[in-house]
Amino acid sequence: MEPNWASEHLQVIRTLMERSALYRRALAPIMITCGVIGLAAAIATCFIKIERPSHFSAFWLTVSLLGLIASFLLVRRQALKDAEPFWSPPTRRVSQALLPCFVLGLVGGIVFLTHQSLEPAANWYLAVFWTAIYGCALHAAGFSMPRGIRLFGWMFIFGSTAVFIAGFVRPEWRTSEAAHYVMGIFFGVLHLAYGVYLYFTEKSRKST
Amino acid sequence: MNPEPFLQLDRVIHEKGRLAIMSLLAATPQLSFTEMRDTLNMTDGNITAHIRTLQEAGYVSVTKEFHGGRPLTTFSITSQGKKAFASYIDLLEQIIKQTKKK
Repeated sequence: MEPNWASEHLQVIRTLMERSALYRRALAPIMITCGVIGLAAAIATCFIKIERPSHFSAFWLTVSLLGLIASFLLVRRQALKDAEPFWSPPTRRVSQALLPCFVLGLVGGIVFLTHQSLEPAANWYLAVFWTAIYGCALHAAGFSMPRGIRLFGWMFIFGSTAVFIAGFVRPEWRTSEAAHYVMGIFFGVLHLAYGVYLYFTEKSRKST
Repeated sequence: MNPEPFLQLDRVIHEKGRLAIMSLLAATPQLSFTEMRDTLNMTDGNITAHIRTLQEAGYVSVTKEFHGGRPLTTFSITSQGKKAFASYIDLLEQIIKQTKKK
């Protein structure tokens, strides 16, 4: 009898238990949809002047709500298609991990929404804060998702830190317009790029 | 090597396919048929056969319901199944310890 069979058995059990707890819904359509929404919103701000912090906050909170609703519908559709429960334990774990940072982001948005005395340049701070907090949310959810999500979260964290530092090196960059660019690049372009990457990698994984 | 722990291994769980099913169910409260099939890359017939054996041993419970007009079969591990799985792991650890001692 092979002496290592018992430890190999335990390793298989461990791997399977870890895999069982992972969130398995296809993320490519969710990322692409959120990216398109984010990018469209950022492009829209080139035509509609949104400068007041309360307007900036209301606009981007509405965009994020649209993204959330779209994600919810896509996840629900996938669950129905696969004849699986929508509110599965991995979905619950991912939602619980996202929730604290999302609540913090909402509180930040509400503060900007209600304080009329803020200068338009303050929008830049909110954009950096939202980007950082979203990165933290993705990183937290990444423990119940494929590893790539945690790395994607780190991109938001490092990116927001870089933007934050850049804003202090070049104070003229801390404008309302730059805040829209930050939102468009991180929540639009980055999501779209990651979605396209996932589209090809998730597809090829399925076909193997 | 003392063969006793090996002889005590639960034969129902020890089979490769059933061990995989038990491992998945031990980590998550419930799992649907499709989730299990996709994770383990098993055929529908294989899963059905293994689940039946595990169900007969009282280790797994099966729930059948309708979700959005479509049938949904979910599996979960029973308390008896949890105990059996835990003692199976204990025995594996004992065997590993014995192998290391040699």
